[in-house]
Amino acid sequence: MSSHPSRKGSKSASPPSLTNRITGGANTLSRERSVRTNRKFDKFNDCLLKPDINMSDLRSFAWSGIPSELRPIVWPILLGYLPLNSTTRNQTLIRKRAEYAELVRLAFARGREGLEFAVWHQIEIDVPRTRPGVQLWMEAATQRSLERILYVWAIRHPASGYVQGINDLVTPFYQTFLSAYIVSDPEIFDPGLLSPEVLNAIEADTFWCLSRLLDGIQDNYINAQPGIHRSVKKMKDLVKKINAPLVKHLDEEGVEFMQFAFRWMNCLLMRELSVKNIIRMWDTYMVCRKDAFSEFHLYVCSAFLLTWKDELQAMDFQGIIMFLQSLPTANWTNHEIELLLSGAFVLHSTWHNAPGHLGGS
Amino acid sequence: MTEQSNYDYLFKIVLIGDSGVGKSNLLSRFTRNEFNNDSKSTIGVEFATRSINVDGKTVKAQIWDTAGQERYRAITAAYYRGAVGALLVYDIAKQATYASVTRWLKELRDHADSNIVITLVGNKSDLKHLRSVPTEEAKNFSTENGLSFIETSAMDASNVEAAFQNILTDIYRIVSNRALESSSEPAIQPSGGQTITVSPSVDAATGKSGCC
Ligand SMILES: Nc1nc2c(ncn2[C@@H]2O[C@H](COP(=O)(O)OP(=O)(O)OP(=O)(O)O)[C@@H](O)[C@H]2O)c(=O)[nH]1
Ligand SMILES: [Mg+2]
Repeated sequence: MSSHPSRKGSKSASPPSLTNRITGGANTLSRERSVRTNRKFDKFNDCLLKPDINMSDLRSFAWSGIPSELRPIVWPILLGYLPLNSTTRNQTLIRKRAEYAELVRLAFARGREGLEFAVWHQIEIDVPRTRPGVQLWMEAATQRSLERILYVWAIRHPASGYVQGINDLVTPFYQTFLSAYIVSDPEIFDPGLLSPEVLNAIEADTFWCLSRLLDGIQDNYINAQPGIHRSVKKMKDLVKKINAPLVKHLDEEGVEFMQFAFRWMNCLLMRELSVKNIIRMWDTYMVCRKDAFSEFHLYVCSAFLLTWKDELQAMDFQGIIMFLQSLPTANWTNHEIELLLSGAFVLHSTWHNAPGHLGGS
Repeated sequence: MTEQSNYDYLFKIVLIGDSGVGKSNLLSRFTRNEFNNDSKSTIGVEFATRSINVDGKTVKAQIWDTAGQERYRAITAAYYRGAVGALLVYDIAKQATYASVTRWLKELRDHADSNIVITLVGNKSDLKHLRSVPTEEAKNFSTENGLSFIETSAMDASNVEAAFQNILTDIYRIVSNRALESSSEPAIQPSGGQTITVSPSVDAATGKSGCC
């Protein structure tokens, strides 16, 4: 099915490098690109070309979205996986990728019998149910990668282990890093066509970035999931401040925030929005401090709920639950996501440090 | 918005059992006649309804499909409250999911109404060549533990309709008998009979009975 890969940056220079996507100018760009987008790309590119990247510059550019060609290098820098200093960047990549390869080797050294059964078992059930129907995720090579990433992460974090939904969180990273090595759409590509070295690089970069993200939201996945309970409660308090009649209506109908917002927290809205939407959303999340995936996210969830305040007001219990369980976001583009993010930003600036309310945690 | 009170009884049912046994597919088969070979895992709970006819009455089932993974037990257990029926599902091709049944029964004892009607459901009966749980064994276990028992396939649709129809009928009979008994002999209550909470009441109809 998949077209033959036309690999980029495969001049056999090791390591498989994310950085060779940065160019000296905009001359490599396609002509269709608008002038405005070109300028944005150039600004980014210049910022990334500096021997010492200025983090606040990078943040301010990234806030409004990262050009997809640059995302594979910008995300790791924003997450702190790659250093700002360009001279040590390649060494870091080489070291972290080797480290990941070693973690994998150790985890699987004793074959299937040596695996932690319960963890492995759940991962095996969930891997084929990750982005079902999308060709990339149905390919054996992708599924094996996903299994390794999830298993290695789980055994390194025994307090939570593997929790369903973490599999979803792997996909934006994997697709983004895969896109650094191919020209075609990652979603219709078979990574089995890549060299083992490149495949390991994609997997390792995904693993380390996922780990960074999850570091900030571990409380969501440990026993009794206190992080989620806290966020859902805060979200309800916040929505009540903003739109008391909506919360009153939900209360009267017997709708609990846990009934719908649990999943919004557990999967970071990945079940509600497309992966493309989520990738754009994460550009902005990664700009914020480390707590974006917990703290800022609950403001996003609140703004998200308020998007449908009028519809919800007119519905009864069953209507509300069914509606929130399959929201009409299939056609959402960057435009809707950016509206959502700016709405959340306004809520955050208004309420985050408001005295006696929601401030701190 | 949705169907208002065009039913005589509203029964809340929960679907429980290990992850991957096919709970979500049983639900989609029953409520939408759909089977999805590549469904996603359930996070927390999902909800669907369908009305059926029992003895000339319209019985509406409000079904909560729960996540199977252990980690979600704390959140899903909250949904057992007010449920009058439970379909406890295992996979006939996976012994481990059958071995978990006792643990699920304990969950129900700890969190659900003591009068809850339970059906043990051996799903994936289409996987004949992979069967690892003999029908007789599960049937005997059910008898010993006062459960109903049925084998289903969400994939080829066999017995799915029956599984839901049977449990809803059982609940209907219990509820309507109780109504009958208590109206003819108000002094005599069937033992513990008061605890089946979901009867044709306005509260339950609008979800005001609340969950979690
Ligand atoms: N052969 C066969 N496969 C089935 C049947 N029912 C479900 N499956 C498959 O089993 C897998 C899991 O089904 P789900 O319905 O998602 O399982 P679940 O019990 O809801 O799992 P959790 O949401 O993780 O608790 C899917 O790949 C289904 O296609 C069945 O009757 N026969
Ligand atoms: Mg399910």
